[in-house]
Order: sequence, then C-alpha cells, then structure tokens
Amino acid sequence: MMRLLLNRLIQAPIVLLAVYTITFALAWALPGSAVMNDEGKRPPPEVIAAMEARYSLHDPAAFYVQYLRGVITRLDFGPSLRYTDWTVNDILAGSLPVSVILGLAAMLIALVIGVAAGVIGAWKPGSALDWAATLLALVGISTPAFVIGAGLLLLFPVTLGIGRVASWGRPQDILLPALTLSLPFAASIARLTRMGMLEALQADYIRTARAKGLPESAVILRHALKNAFLPVLSYLGPASAAAMTGSFVVEKVFNVPGLGQHFVSAVLNKDLFLIMGVVLVYAAMLIGFNLAVDALYGWVDPRIGRG
Amino acid sequence: MLRLLLPFALVLGLLVAAALSDRPQPPADWTYIDSQPAFTLDPLRTSYEQDIRLNNALWDGLVRWDTADFSITPGIAESWEKSPDNLRFVFRLRADARWSNGETIDAHDIVYSWRRGVMPDTAADYSKLFFSIRGAEAFFRWRAEQLRGYAARPAAERTRDAAAALRREAWERFESAVGVSAPDARTLVVDLERPTPYFLDICAFVPTFPVHPPSLERALKIDPATGRVDEGSAWTRPGALVCSGAYTLASWRFKRDMRLERNPAYWDTDHVRADSIRVLIIEDPNTSVLAFRTGAADFATDVLTDYIGDMLRESASAASEGKPRTIHGFTRFGTYFWSFNCTPTLTSGLPNPLADRRVRRALALATNKREIVERVRGVGEVVADTLIPPGSIPGFDPARSTVGARHDPEAARALLQEAGWTREAGASGPPVDASGAPFPIIDMLCSTGSYHVPVALAMGAMWERELGIRTRVVAKETKTYRQDLRRRDYMVARGGWFGDYSDPTTFLNIHKTGDGNNDRGFSSPRFDDLLGRAAAEPEPAARLCLLEEAERVTTEDELPILPLWHYRQFFLYDGGRFTGVTTHPRMIQMLQQMGPKDVLSPAERRAAAPWSGPR
Repeated sequence: MMRLLLNRLIQAPIVLLAVYTITFALAWALPGSAVMNDEGKRPPPEVIAAMEARYSLHDPAAFYVQYLRGVITRLDFGPSLRYTDWTVNDILAGSLPVSVILGLAAMLIALVIGVAAGVIGAWKPGSALDWAATLLALVGISTPAFVIGAGLLLLFPVTLGIGRVASWGRPQDILLPALTLSLPFAASIARLTRMGMLEALQADYIRTARAKGLPESAVILRHALKNAFLPVLSYLGPASAAAMTGSFVVEKVFNVPGLGQHFVSAVLNKDLFLIMGVVLVYAAMLIGFNLAVDALYGWVDPRIGRG
Repeated sequence: MLRLLLPFALVLGLLVAAALSDRPQPPADWTYIDSQPAFTLDPLRTSYEQDIRLNNALWDGLVRWDTADFSITPGIAESWEKSPDNLRFVFRLRADARWSNGETIDAHDIVYSWRRGVMPDTAADYSKLFFSIRGAEAFFRWRAEQLRGYAARPAAERTRDAAAALRREAWERFESAVGVSAPDARTLVVDLERPTPYFLDICAFVPTFPVHPPSLERALKIDPATGRVDEGSAWTRPGALVCSGAYTLASWRFKRDMRLERNPAYWDTDHVRADSIRVLIIEDPNTSVLAFRTGAADFATDVLTDYIGDMLRESASAASEGKPRTIHGFTRFGTYFWSFNCTPTLTSGLPNPLADRRVRRALALATNKREIVERVRGVGEVVADTLIPPGSIPGFDPARSTVGARHDPEAARALLQEAGWTREAGASGPPVDASGAPFPIIDMLCSTGSYHVPVALAMGAMWERELGIRTRVVAKETKTYRQDLRRRDYMVARGGWFGDYSDPTTFLNIHKTGDGNNDRGFSSPRFDDLLGRAAAEPEPAARLCLLEEAERVTTEDELPILPLWHYRQFFLYDGGRFTGVTTHPRMIQMLQQMGPKDVLSPAERRAAAPWSGPR
C-alpha cells in the first residue's frame, strides 16, 4: 500500500509537468492577441509591444521557463492579462474555496441520493421502485444542468419565494446549485451501487447472513452495501475533483463565484496565465483525489493493503 | 459502517464551517447588477463601459459632464481660460479638491498622471487622447525609442540605477518637450498641438482623470533588464486605493461583488445621493433578469436576454394599466454596421468586386434596414443612415446634408449594371461581368453568440432577392473574428463603433487612411482632405460643416460601411421609485446621482428640512 502511494507521489510532478507543457502549447496556439481588447479601442502599436514585452509574450521559450520558475519557487501563477488589477493567485484564492465547498456539498447530496436509489433498486429488482430509481438516474444523466438549474430557480426563489436568485455566502445558498451539480453524479452512483448490490446479494455470505436470521436491513446495509460500495469509492476520486473544480453552467445559472467559469472564459480571453493556473490546479486536485481514494481503499477494505 | 460515515461527518462539518466563515455584505443604499466585472480601477486603463461607470464614481476629473446635456461643469478645476487661438488652456484648481486620504490634489499630480498616459510602458488603450497636447505624440515615440535603445545595451550596463536614470531622463524630457506644466500647486497650463475644440470633453473623460502619485510610486517597480515601469496591481485594492471621486472602494471580490462608500473628502459630496452602493456581478443574462425581478437589485445596467422584445411588450402593457415601467431602452452614442472590405485584392488573391464603390452602394440600396430592425431585432432600435447618431453632438446634424443609402432596389440594380455586373431580368443566377464570370459568393464574417448571424442571413436573402448575389455566413469565435478583421480576411463583416467625446471625429476617424481602427482598408483622398481641412479650420461652425460633408461622403458616395441601426441600451429599474438615470445618447450613467427616490443627498435633505440641520 505504502509503495503504491509512494509511487503515485513520485509520478505526480512528472504528470504535472506534462500537463503544463501540453497546456502551454495549446494556449499559445490560440488565435488572437492576449493583451488586446476584443471590443475596446485599439491602443497604438507601441503600447501593445510594451505589454507583450512585459509578459514575455514575444518569446515562448522564455515565457515557458519563467512561468514554471515562478510557480515552483514562489507558487506564483502570474498576473491576469485580462483582469489587469488581479493576479491569478488572487483569482484562485477567491474561487477555489467556493468551488470546493460547492463540490463537497454536491458529492454529499449525490452519495445520499445515489446510494439510496441504488440500494432500493437492487433490493427489489424489476419492481416499480427499481423502475423509479432507474428513471431518476436516467433523467439525472441526460438533462443538462442549465435546464435543471433554471427550473429550480423558477420553482423555488421566483415562484415559491424560497431562497434567493444569484446569492452566495449564506449556508442555504448552497442547496440549489449543489443539487443541480449533484444529479449527474448521483445517477452514476446509483447505477454503480445497484450493480454492486445485485452482485453482492447473490453472494454466499449474504445467504449465510440471512440464514443466521439477521434482519433484512442489517443484511443490506451492514453486509451487502459494504462490498457493493467499492466501485462507488473508486468513482468518487475523479468525480469529486470534477465536482470541486466547478461547473461552468451551474456557476453561470446560480451566479456562483467558483473556479469553473475561468476554464471557459480564460480560454476565450486568451488569458494565458489564468489558463495555466486553473489547469495546473485542476490537475493537482485530480492527482490528489486519486491518491486519497487509493488510501481510503486500503482503509475501507483491508484486503487491498495486504495484497 | 462507522468507517463509512466518518468522512461524511467530516465533510458536513467542513461545509458548515466554510458557510459560516463567508458572511454576506451589509446592505447598501442600493444595488445594481452589472453583466461584466470591472477590468481595472486605474482610470488611465479604463476602456470598457463598466469600468467607465465605476471610475466615474471613484475618480474626479479636471472637469465633469452634466449628464442632462453633456455640457462641461467644474471638477477638480473650479475655472479655466482658453487663449484666443484655442491653443492654450489654463486651469485653476479648487482649494478643497482632496484625495480620499485627505491630501490636497495638486496640479503636479495631474502632470504626473498625464505623463503616465504618454509613456508606452504605462500607457493604455486611450493614450491617443493625450496626443492633442503639444509634443505628447513625439514624446510617446521618443520614449518607445529610448526603451528600445536601453534594451540593446550590454547586460552589465542595465542595472537598477541605470533604469532609474532612464526614467529621470524621460521625466526631464517630458518637462521640456510636452505642453503640460504646473507653475504653482493650483494652476495647470496645457498647450495644444493644434486647436482641439473638444479638449475639455477629453478632460471630462475617465482616462485623463488624475491618480494619486504617492500610491503609485510605492507600488511601482522599474525593471532593470528593460527599463520599463511596472506599476503592478496592488494599488487598486480596497484599503490601498486612494481615489478622488464621490465614492471610495470598501470591498471588491473578483467576479462577485463590490461595495462603494461615500467619500467624505470629495468636494461635492453634498450632491452625492447614496451613502453606499453595492455592485453585483451576474454574467448570465437570464439569472440577472430573475435576480432583478426577485428584488436582489434596484438597477441592472444591461439586458442581454433573447426575449427583450417580450419584456418590452409586457412592460408596455403594465404601463397602460398605470404600473411603472421596469425595462427602459435608450438610443446610444454608437452605431451597428457591416463593413465592406475596400481593398482591391482579397487575401485569397482574387480581385475584390467590393473595391468598386458602386457595388458597395448597390448592396446598401438593396438592404431594407427597416425590415431588419423590425423583424429580426424587434426591440425598437432607430434605423441608421449615418455613422453618427443624429442629435448626439451639439451643432452637428448629418441629416441636414445626407440621407445615406435608403432602400431602393431599382436604383441598386441599375448601379450594379453600371459597375459592369449584368443580369437578365428574371434570371436566377448571379450577375456576370463582361467576360461572363459570375459575381463571387460574398463571405459574411461575424462573431458567434449574438444576433449577428440572423442579421447576416436577412441581409444575404435581400441581396440575393434583389441582385442575385449569393452570400455565405461565416461565424467565428470573437478572437478569430477580430484577427480576420484586422488581416482584412473577409468581404463583408459585422462591426460597430461607439463615440468617446463630443465631436464628429470620434466617429469619422475610423475611416481615415491608415487609421488603426480602419478595418476596411478604406482610403479616400476626398474624405482625408475634408478631415484635414476640418482640423485646420479655426471657426467651429465651418469646421462642423466640413465634417458633415465628410460624413455625407462616406454614407452616400463611398460607403466603406453599411450602417444598420444606432445601438440601444436597456436598463432594468422601477420607473416609479428609481431616479438619476440619464437618457442622453452619450449614455454615461453617473452613480453619484442615481438611487431610489427616497434616498436623498445631503443637499436635498437640507432643502427638504432646512430647520433640522446643525446650527
């Protein structure tokens, strides 16, 4: 187990460097100028030249090395080329916690809904309840977030007067966006749980447990679910990273000041430093969460550590 | 099972802790929604509308606009004099003009700020505004050259001291060569390169507003390798920002919100309505309408939904029942148009049929603008026959001398024939030239994500119906579209322009040969000559006549562009209880006079209850 984790830790910087290099190449290839306004007035060429020189935009090799040096030595992700009053560190510091909170809340909701729906479905396969759970999963996966989000906004704050539109900062503000963000994850978890449960419920030890006379709830929750949960756990790592780096659509609809919007807007603006910053942070989170899941695995199922 | 529950409990605890640590802001006197976050609070770098709005509230200029008619009123300068030859302005600064930290605003602060504006290393989009000052443009080029020379020196000679000396040299040069000086702390003398009738208007425009020199000097670094001055971004942060306007910056969270609070040091704070303003950033157009409707804000600066037409009808029917309107549309100081590529050869190497002004005019005459405005847009824009919106500049009336190119398919066909493109009546194919080659398919370039594609399709259908000319819409992502536009890699492209100051040249300059914003490659000796003569004309009325003629030449004869409509801006506010919004086409809203009607400025409060004030 320790060996696996150590291996992963050694790989991490290499993976990050590869991610940085590929992102750098792609970002550099984006059309247009990074320092010129798209809709604003055009400055004289001397001003553009001065700005490009300030950020080493005329020299890709120098940019590549300087930026990498800044990130490694000072954890400095550079200035935002578009929002010139802000540094990428400021932007990440403001939006990453928001996305982490929203992502955690969404994963929490997804687990509750998903595991419950999966267990109910597997308990009486083919029943009306199973069909309902499957339908819910299907709707969750296939309905785009901007439909669900807009629907929730229209239903709760606008029609019923519960909650607020475009508000963030109060605990109850998290609920609607987290619910919207959670649905696709909940659907996947439900399907994984149902599959795992169906398999587990066929196993010999479940028959033994039932023969012992254990109540059905104990059989399902204590014995079957524990084993059925393992595939869900391995899904949780990348899913948490995806949820926590935010969703462009959910953030737009609910006006959540998270990280996800920057993935899209930074690229559209050719804001090189911001693109690099958000991608590196996302990559680091993805690596971190996979690592955490590996560690959790050994903890939940001690067989893995010994194997 | 407990093992499984433990992480959940941890996550839940973390969530509660995080939610409790992020307390919402205290309520403000009023709140407005902006669809875009501010890019910068540095007045010099201001270029976008939301920045202009904020910086007009945070900073003060030498002079200001009265937004009723955009005439000039005193600001930091309490009075000014103009020399008879219009080449020298002497500003007298008011004694009570102070920075938000209490220090007096000195004439030298303005010299410092304007020098920033003409140093390429600190200058920005609007540095050209300063070029009407004597020697400013030459200094700008000299400084660029000086920096190039410095960067070419051997590395050992480029030290911190050498870089600092370079800046001192530039300052000395500025003092001797540029026509801005402060003979004493309260007098500013400005000498102009040429008579500039709109110079005061420029002084009322945010990019010329002075900044607090000590704040910048503390923040800036001089790069020893290049000699460039880098001011960083820390000085515009809440707490660090020393400003001069009606408000100070109390908080600013990126792409989230901002809070402005009354600046007690502002000389005219008596006429500032609200004590505090909250700015809420909502980028999604639907969410911002919903937020306004559920009472999250008193004002929204922009309505960008696809259903503006429905909202207008809904509001109008509510108004007929005596309820106040909530959506308000006003014509702006800007025009939506399509550009014609005027260069003789296309980037593909093929000859450009649009280089012939008769072809351009034929296309314009075949376009039924009214139908596009009414059927495609449907939000009440004014059809544009000229680039400059009528009635927006005092003394200038393009409608007096031109009707532009009004819809006339018959004349369009005749003109195309005259240009050498013939087409049998009732024929289905495109017109052909003398050698029998068909008129090429016109690529209509636009950016994605707005109403440009439907407009292009409507225009293309009209051209095909009336002239047999086929089109193809090429919609590209904004950056790519801009790049194609600059390279003139297009035949017809969507465009638009907003004016900055109260003078026709703020629009007409885009047609000058070689101008940085002349995306059309348009070059007309007649037009350039008219602009040149206008620049030399000392008599204001005669000058405006020359510019009216220049406008006529471009909209009637040469047509580098096809103006479609004058932009219209939509605001959301309750007409019954919100006040202070200007309806003048310049459309620059001053936050200091806006707010709910029951929020009164100190002056209004005194007038309402004169006996309750301090004795």
